[in-house]
Amino acid sequence: MNDRRRVNGPPGGTRPPVYASLLQSGTGAGDRAQRQRQPTELRKIFLKTGLIPSASGSSYLEFEPSASLAAARANPKSLIPPSSALKLACTVHGPKPLPRSAAFSPNLVLTTHVKFAPFAARKRKGHVRDSSERDLGVHLETALRGAIIAERWPKSGLDITITILEAEDDRWWGDAPDSHDASWGMMNVLAGCISAASAAIADAHIDCLDLVSGGVAALVSDDSTESPSTAPKLMLDSDPAEHRSIVSACVVAYMPARDEITELWLKGDSSKASLAEGDERSGHEALIDGAVNAARGAHTVLAEAVRESLQKALGQS
Amino acid sequence: MASAAAPPAAPNSLSLPPSQFARLQPHAYLLAHLSPPPAINQPSIRANGRAASQFRVTSANAGSLTHTNGSAVVRLGDTTAVCGVRAEILHTDDIASWSVSQSTNANKRRRLADSEKPTDESDDAEDEEDRAHVEDLNLLVPNISLSTGCAPGFIPSAPPSALAQSLSHQILSLLHTTRMVRAEDLRIWYQPPNLGPEELERHNEEEQMDVDAGQGLEEESKPAEIKAFWVLYIDIMLISLAGNPFDAAWAATLAALRDTKLPQAWWDIDNETIFCSDKVTESRKLSLRGLPIASSFCVFEADAAAGWRAVVIPDAEEQKALEKKGSQQKWILADPDGYEEGLSQERVCIVVDKEENGKGKTVVVKMEKHGGWTVDSDDLRQLVDVSASRWEEMKRILDQC
Amino acid sequence: MVGPTASLSTLSRADGSACYKCPTTGYDLLGAVNAPIELPARRDALKPEEATVEVFVKPGNTTAGVGERYVEGILRSVLTKVVLGRERGFPRRGVVITLAIVGGETVTRGDSYLTILPALLHTSLLALLSAAVPLSMTFSATLLGVNKSGEIIPDVSVTDAKSVSSLHVLAFTSKNHLLLNKSEGRFDFDTWEKVREHALSICRKNTIFNLDGDVAMGDGEESESQGFIRETVEDRLEKDYMWKIDSV
Repeated sequence: MNDRRRVNGPPGGTRPPVYASLLQSGTGAGDRAQRQRQPTELRKIFLKTGLIPSASGSSYLEFEPSASLAAARANPKSLIPPSSALKLACTVHGPKPLPRSAAFSPNLVLTTHVKFAPFAARKRKGHVRDSSERDLGVHLETALRGAIIAERWPKSGLDITITILEAEDDRWWGDAPDSHDASWGMMNVLAGCISAASAAIADAHIDCLDLVSGGVAALVSDDSTESPSTAPKLMLDSDPAEHRSIVSACVVAYMPARDEITELWLKGDSSKASLAEGDERSGHEALIDGAVNAARGAHTVLAEAVRESLQKALGQS
Repeated sequence: MASAAAPPAAPNSLSLPPSQFARLQPHAYLLAHLSPPPAINQPSIRANGRAASQFRVTSANAGSLTHTNGSAVVRLGDTTAVCGVRAEILHTDDIASWSVSQSTNANKRRRLADSEKPTDESDDAEDEEDRAHVEDLNLLVPNISLSTGCAPGFIPSAPPSALAQSLSHQILSLLHTTRMVRAEDLRIWYQPPNLGPEELERHNEEEQMDVDAGQGLEEESKPAEIKAFWVLYIDIMLISLAGNPFDAAWAATLAALRDTKLPQAWWDIDNETIFCSDKVTESRKLSLRGLPIASSFCVFEADAAAGWRAVVIPDAEEQKALEKKGSQQKWILADPDGYEEGLSQERVCIVVDKEENGKGKTVVVKMEKHGGWTVDSDDLRQLVDVSASRWEEMKRILDQC
Repeated sequence: MVGPTASLSTLSRADGSACYKCPTTGYDLLGAVNAPIELPARRDALKPEEATVEVFVKPGNTTAGVGERYVEGILRSVLTKVVLGRERGFPRRGVVITLAIVGGETVTRGDSYLTILPALLHTSLLALLSAAVPLSMTFSATLLGVNKSGEIIPDVSVTDAKSVSSLHVLAFTSKNHLLLNKSEGRFDFDTWEKVREHALSICRKNTIFNLDGDVAMGDGEESESQGFIRETVEDRLEKDYMWKIDSV
């Protein structure tokens, strides 16, 4: 608790505020945010490169706030946000010589760090990276390693650092944690991390096979009030705050030019899914295809951002 | 700019592009900008194109982060700081020494609580209480993180560097000495009801009101007591660092605190805990004392070797005389960028405030200079004036955000 | 008024050391200097043409925290300017100064370290002198408070420091340059200039240097700052060269 390298709070610890309106379930906190988008419609992504001049490459990514969040921002009534939108900054340092102590490597050594700002999530995060942040770092590293042509930089290192300023919620505020509950927000965060890191690597002029982009799809059971008979539906780019329960979700890192997936993370039970008539795919196949489609969508934004970055670089020299 | 960058001494056959020269001979490069030879008829200007006392373009944006009570992004040229304020509750039961300390001056607190809006006269009496609560109970917790990949030197996921630690300390120290956050804003009061039979029945509805308005009605009742405090976790992430982290971090802290809204909170006697209302209309902003604005400067000396050879250091008086007749030996650069910071040791940081919201006289809140001996009172007087005009500029920017 | 007391070379294993007691603030410090020494762990941080000055401040009863990092940074920047780090044997090496706060009030969280800063500066200077580290000049520091009616209070104690409206630490070199200034509280610039004059007179009191570096003590009643430092060093020299002086 007592960290001598930081300014510490009260020694007895503090408690997050408890909102009285959330205790009487369903009332007070307003209505659940409703998904206004079509099942295959993605959120807009704001992606900009080169905002951090001291880094060799950098990018900033922001998801468009959901309709309910935008409404809540414009006309605030409740202090409890209906949902949140991902905001993150990514920097790339390198390629640079490996530290003296490091062993010889014929390839570029990739290191990824993903860190939430303490104020990024609903629950205050610690200053030291926790297991979920390390986990995201590992996923991100796998996603990028498949895209970078590492043998062009022997004995070099590349540091990718992502700071998440605002994370996606795992569920709606009004919902109590239940059995379906898992860190669904993490998957959206990872998809954002992949796209942002890819843009930053391109901004740093590191050779890649293709721009790798991240996409999320989920099987959600929404309108059904506790009736398990209705099968969950497939939604692209799902915002966990907008759905009553997410049954399963999948995030991919995808390279469209080679039609290759470098990273796949599937969570939950995908056996039951209500697909269109005549669709022979199994649940998880549909889920992966959905995630790939979402990644294709993100790729167009990514390509545009990288083009901008290149134009800036050409203009300078 | 490119023409000014050409070193006067470099022969044409060996000329380098300005960017290369800046890297190889940084000191000579900056010096060539600041004191151009009379032949090329250029004004003295910094390598980044600014005048000596010119700050970088500053922008501030508040309230864009969802999970915070208050947040702000401040961009100072290429230096970007994001600050988020999160409020959590510290129950008095969790304070080890609370029951001892509060019984001695409970009456005094009660009296202070009655004065609704703190006026200037009551400020003095309130000061000691304020200080004791905010400082001794650790109600303000600022931390700066530099391990965000903001500059190549900082290893991500490493513990905070000495620079980050000392910046965190400076922010905390400045928050304490300026007493900007009022302890009254952070207190959560509870008015115990009179335990008469009718009171018992309706105290549930009553107590919510009692917290802010009830004192007048129930003059006979027990004194109100503090049940909890808000603790403000002020986390500053430096997303991009290109010199002068303190000014950016402080401006972000200031903007975030101005944006901070605390929910209405009350002690619920049945559950023995604190509940909050989520209604925006019931929440309130912090009433901050003053608007201290920080301005940092660095001193660039013409002689790179100045200060290490014992024989060349003149007396303070001689040095003054020397400066009067000779050419300029030092330049005080406002809001230094990373390049300039690397070329100078002497730093000045001045924090000023203006009384009566800008109409009163300038008050210096903090003045710090270290790392050299060239700046003395004449320079500092000028710098205070520069900081005062910077105050106007920053106030405009912060009011707009 | 009781002046501070100090003694040099109290530790036998360090290259130089000093004990410093300041009765007005109640601080009791022990400083040790090792110089020049090799710093193999910091090979990358060492500067090729001059010595690297490292300062460590250890509080007496707790572990060092963020506040110590801050005051270390201030001390480092001041001492780097005074130490002649380009003398023979110093480049690429380290000058390591360790200052332990042995007695006195505990410095609390978020405190500005102003009350202890002059004592820290004097201790490090004495320890550097004791280790015979080449210095470009000596310096002295003082702590002054200004109360609500605008009067300057010298000899601020730790309890006084809480009630003054502004608090100032100023350090002057032996050639009258303003080496360090740290001011906190609410004050205007004219007040500060008065404080500066006052501080300069305290730091320079009773010491008049002749051209050959000899010191002529004024009336010798009290020796503050500069004079005090000189006296401490002279005392030590006298003790060390007792055998020689006796034989003459």
